[in-house]
Amino acid sequence: MNDTFNLSRFGFLLKKSILERPIQIIGLTFLILGFTFFTYSVFLYFGGWGPAQNLSFIWGYIGGGIFLSSAVFGYFNTNASGSAYLTLPASALEKWLCGTLITGVFFCLLFFGFYRLIDTAFVTAYHNGLDRNSPLYQKMYNAVHIFAFEGNIVRQSTIMFVNFTGIMLVGSLYFNRVAVVKAAIVACVLMGVIYLLNLTVANILFTNVDVAFPFHNILIKMGKEAGSIELTPIASTFVDICFQYILPCILWVTAYIRLREKEI
Amino acid sequence: MIQFNNLSFGYSRKKLLYKNLSLSIESGSIYGLLGKNGAGKSTLLKNMVGTLFPVEGNVMINGMNPQSRKPSFLQTIYYIAEDVYVPSLTIKQYKNLFSPFYPQFNEENFYKYLQELEVSVDGKLNKLSFGQQKKFVIAFALACNTKVLLMDEPTNGLDIPSKAQFRKLIASVMNDDRIIFISTHQIRDLENMIDKVLIVDNGNLLLHSSITDIAERLCFKTVSEIPAGVKVLYSEKMLRGISVIIENLNGEDSALNLEHLFNGVTENPAMAKQLFSSN
Repeated sequence: MNDTFNLSRFGFLLKKSILERPIQIIGLTFLILGFTFFTYSVFLYFGGWGPAQNLSFIWGYIGGGIFLSSAVFGYFNTNASGSAYLTLPASALEKWLCGTLITGVFFCLLFFGFYRLIDTAFVTAYHNGLDRNSPLYQKMYNAVHIFAFEGNIVRQSTIMFVNFTGIMLVGSLYFNRVAVVKAAIVACVLMGVIYLLNLTVANILFTNVDVAFPFHNILIKMGKEAGSIELTPIASTFVDICFQYILPCILWVTAYIRLREKEI
Repeated sequence: MIQFNNLSFGYSRKKLLYKNLSLSIESGSIYGLLGKNGAGKSTLLKNMVGTLFPVEGNVMINGMNPQSRKPSFLQTIYYIAEDVYVPSLTIKQYKNLFSPFYPQFNEENFYKYLQELEVSVDGKLNKLSFGQQKKFVIAFALACNTKVLLMDEPTNGLDIPSKAQFRKLIASVMNDDRIIFISTHQIRDLENMIDKVLIVDNGNLLLHSSITDIAERLCFKTVSEIPAGVKVLYSEKMLRGISVIIENLNGEDSALNLEHLFNGVTENPAMAKQLFSSN
């Protein structure tokens, strides 16, 4: 018997993981999609196309990913459910793969598909609602486009998604109860400490520091003049690689290691 | 066979609950693990199933280490925790989702056990009472036909008829290849069911003996006066005299009183050790 990975056992596990807790996994996913639709509609009504497309995407994608990733390993609220999960005859790799597939693949595919669907519906409705005889028709038509998945917002959101979901996956395996809150607090405290540390170091090295965003730039203000100290291109590339690949890999692999060593 | 090799375990490394525990558990027996609240019964079971890891030493179950939680090992062991977990599924849905992980699962027996334990098969499992949920989990665990079955306080929440039915079921599923390990502080629930007794207190193994051996070494009786010249493990004033556990010097047959035995062993561990170490 293969104790590391068995395709049929993995299939049973994936089915079990999704159907065992329909409210936590399927219900939450639909709630996230519903929230995205609601946010899109509200921002479109009050703020226009830019905020509607960008904010609903960011909140739905990153926010939804955070909540879903904290739920996929959310078996440890009680001793009984935690024990039942850990002693289920499937390997740690299979259990981890289920969690990461649900969060990292299924959710993303579903979210992107749904987002494209609602965005297309809204944009098409807008285009169809324009007066073709108006002299401003072409200008108004061109002012609104379907949200591009190749843009910088999607790229930055994806970097945040993989890092934050990684934190939540690890957090849900470290904390047994209200893992989402505890992991979020730890992440916020950590980011706050890094920011303050960076600001302190920047203040030692420079004067009139306004903002010192970690791993990014330092903004210096003198009266009405402002200037920024940027990272060198090599350092900037290194930081980008760290946040895009290295840190998410560390977090997601840590979740696997933690799952193997989890005790309850 | 379950082998504890110099197992040390503690929730903190500085304060160990079990220290260098060595113990051998043979197949074909129903073990009763007795202990007070907080004595370390559940901890021992969790070390056996691999949800807690020893600080030093190891546990080997049929040659496999529980700590690695390999599927080939987990297929051979079923652990019923004290507080049961059932998802929001019907019995049929639960069976369809969970039974494929246990190759020896017997569907026919599963429904038979449910019927014998009088578990309602309609509706969602999480809507059942605690006792019904517990009986459902017991039926499922028995139907999985694992070589090792660990149960933590299985009779908690069961009504009196269900406790009797539980004892019958356990006796009926026992065979020479199986080990059934029942941890409880409700000692009377295990009477006439177990054939080996383990008593733990504060992480110490105070007694590991078969019922036959206990009956040979100890005599349980009610007397008007405590007899002189014999070792008295336990005595308790009753309405009809004094109930005692004394050394069985004359090979008398007596009915085992597990509750008194437990009290005697936990109150007087040195004498228990003396009585059970001599040939």
